[in-house]
Amino acid sequence: MKALWTNIDYVASVVLLLIGLYAIMAKGNLVKKLMGLNIIETAVFAFVMAAGIVDGGDAPIMGPGANPPFANPLPQGLILTGIVVAFSTSALALSLIIRIYARFGTIESEELWGVE
Amino acid sequence: MRRVLTLALLILASVPLLYGVAKLPPIGSVDNPAYTHVVPHYLEKGPEETGCENIVTAIILNYRGFDTNGEVTVIFTSLMAVFGVLLAAKKAKEQPGAIETPVSPVTHFIVRTLAPFIVVFSAYMIIYGHSTPGGGFQGGTIIGALLIATSLVVGSKHAQTFLPEPIRLWLQPAAVLTFTVVGLVGMLLLGKYLSYPVDGAYLFLRVPFLTAIEFGIGIGGAAIVASVFWAMEGSIE
Amino acid sequence: MYGTQWPVVLLVTPLVGAALTPIIARRRAQLAGYWALFTFSIVSLAAAALTYQIHTQGEFSYYMGGWAPPIGIELRFDEFSASIAVICLVGWLSLLYCLGYAKHAIPERRIPYFYALMLLCLGGMNGFAVTGDIFNLFVFLEILSLAGYALVAITGDGIAELAAFKYLVMGAISSLSILLAIGIMYSLTGTLNMTDLAVRLSDVEPFPAAVAVAALTLGFCVKAALFPLHIWLPDAHSIAPSPVSAVLSGLVVKVGVLGMLRMFQILYASQVLDLTALNNVLMWLGAISIVMGALFAMVQDDIKMMLAYSTISNIGYIFLGLGLASTYGIIGASVHIFNHAIIKACLFLGAGSLIHQTGYRKLSDLRGVGKAMPITSAAIAVGAISIVGIPPTAGFLCKWYIALGAIEADRLFFAVALLFGALLIFVYYIRMLNAFYFMPPSHPEILEVGEAPLTMLIPIVILAILCLVMGIFGRIPLSFIEPAVINMLAPIGG
Repeated sequence: MKALWTNIDYVASVVLLLIGLYAIMAKGNLVKKLMGLNIIETAVFAFVMAAGIVDGGDAPIMGPGANPPFANPLPQGLILTGIVVAFSTSALALSLIIRIYARFGTIESEELWGVE
Repeated sequence: MRRVLTLALLILASVPLLYGVAKLPPIGSVDNPAYTHVVPHYLEKGPEETGCENIVTAIILNYRGFDTNGEVTVIFTSLMAVFGVLLAAKKAKEQPGAIETPVSPVTHFIVRTLAPFIVVFSAYMIIYGHSTPGGGFQGGTIIGALLIATSLVVGSKHAQTFLPEPIRLWLQPAAVLTFTVVGLVGMLLLGKYLSYPVDGAYLFLRVPFLTAIEFGIGIGGAAIVASVFWAMEGSIE
Repeated sequence: MYGTQWPVVLLVTPLVGAALTPIIARRRAQLAGYWALFTFSIVSLAAAALTYQIHTQGEFSYYMGGWAPPIGIELRFDEFSASIAVICLVGWLSLLYCLGYAKHAIPERRIPYFYALMLLCLGGMNGFAVTGDIFNLFVFLEILSLAGYALVAITGDGIAELAAFKYLVMGAISSLSILLAIGIMYSLTGTLNMTDLAVRLSDVEPFPAAVAVAALTLGFCVKAALFPLHIWLPDAHSIAPSPVSAVLSGLVVKVGVLGMLRMFQILYASQVLDLTALNNVLMWLGAISIVMGALFAMVQDDIKMMLAYSTISNIGYIFLGLGLASTYGIIGASVHIFNHAIIKACLFLGAGSLIHQTGYRKLSDLRGVGKAMPITSAAIAVGAISIVGIPPTAGFLCKWYIALGAIEADRLFFAVALLFGALLIFVYYIRMLNAFYFMPPSHPEILEVGEAPLTMLIPIVILAILCLVMGIFGRIPLSFIEPAVINMLAPIGG
């Protein structure tokens, strides 16, 4: 239990992950599904960032006035890439939703299964 | 029913996840493997080996530059994907729903007044990305956002005159192309793709390399963000 | 000094080629096809050189930016990376096929983007196959997945966008699951390099490592469309343009398998977990996949839908082989990656030609097409015989090896399941060939159509010949991959 408390940031991102998964699985609206996906993305990014937290850590920018300890710079760099990936996925998903709406006139998955 | 099942499934999945994260190394400790294995090298040698005071920039542009090369390819892929999915299969007739309605003069005034400052801010972010927070992608997104704001205020057709199609075509892959050029120059001079000089005769090239890549990412990012918006809005034929 | 730069050519050329495609095709959209084919020829040359280098000198690495791992990114060329050869072979033939196919099947405005996406997808796969860094693996995975989602929707026909959206949601969840696993492993070990990871994983807390392995397995199984995570595959693969189906079905699903192989390399070397449970799950899911895929395929009337379900069956074979964790099983599975890519590409391209020429896609409408398009139909027949696994074709040896692996691992039940699956597959391919050759045409005008243009015919014929040749010389890939598998299983005494 104490370990869960020290790793509360990880716990938070796990909870966020589950919320996102719930949105994807239980919601019928495609935009809501995409939002669920974005929540999962945020959760995973938060998870990786949490691995880089250092207590009392400064921003990892050297130069005059910088004093250790510094925060771990590697997860920050990785998640920068991750954010771009998330942007790209969302852009494509939204485009697909635009086209689906233009063709079928609805973005509710219950109604869309009918046309399939 | 479906919701109850989903919830049950997720709660079931949460148990091993929570147990797993409880067993992970404690967050924030300086003794974590994540902080003691590779990162000390970046923190100690980073400024000297890469010339970047911002270690995050040192990692994404130099140590793990190839990841960023892939990252700019991902965003370029998304542009190709959006175009491939959205551009009209046939030349469409004049679309009645295109957003050309004028917005309120207040918004118009604010965007116009802020535009120069936004440009300066993003240029600062791009140029000083290696020594302060910020960097090419962040700066580029800001310019992209400015282009989107301008499109909303003066209409996309008008906003696109800032980036006419022939220029836009070259700006969209700017990030991928600068990465390749810098990477190949590094390869020819120093032996490996995306090498930066650490010392020696070519040391003077380090800052131009970094700046070129930052600008490439910035310009490419801005062009792509704006183009994605225009394609979604339907204002690109 | 510059002779060793083939990895750069392999990875950077497709990205630059894709970046320049819209510029080159600005005035004439059809130029994009020739440009893509030219670019990819260079890539294939690099892949051939690298495969030869792997063959002659064994494993080697390329350090991006000159930073030795774990500081920088390492590209690692081992026997499993030699899958770049099959990626380039199938990719190049599909691009050649596109020259004739894209003109009619894809809206002209979208042709440049279509070729750019093809290059990005294939280039991303090459990167995925050779990288030695788990985060870099994720980046390339995203390039190829994004391109794949868009390629499914590129025609804009029927439910294409809906299928692509389903594919995107499932694919994005699996990518994030993989990223989560990367995060856990980074938090445990502090490294992203695979070789380093294998060393440092050996003394970590086993439970979080097990969570990471589960997340990775989940992610890669979705990408590979293992039953019951296959639900995105049939729609996406059947609605996509045929050369895209060939690439998606032949290559992109194999990305999941390659990822599993990489994961097993790390896990066997590090000995952090007892993998019996995981292997059992994979074996069972593999066996169920074989049977379910075959049963679903049997009731399909749409030829591409049938081929799509057949892919699920074959992925089942590969996972069964992986799960056996015996030398023969894994060799069979690795070589089946290669053979299935060739066979399925042959079948999908052939089916594409039939649809392109006749305009029909249902088996009941395609009756009698064997007389109208003899060469294409013969090629499809060769592909069908090899996918069933009748000797002396390509499909036989790897299934034989997987069966041997099952016997070696003392799992006779799975050998029986494998044979039963082959029987089911035989039934539905016979049904297809029967419709082509022996049934009276339901549309008389079908007899009037001729063969597809040469750019479409040649790739199919080459692939069909390869199906036969790989059956006769099937020992070559088997003996090529063998040292890698023995090496991989050495720590567990396999």
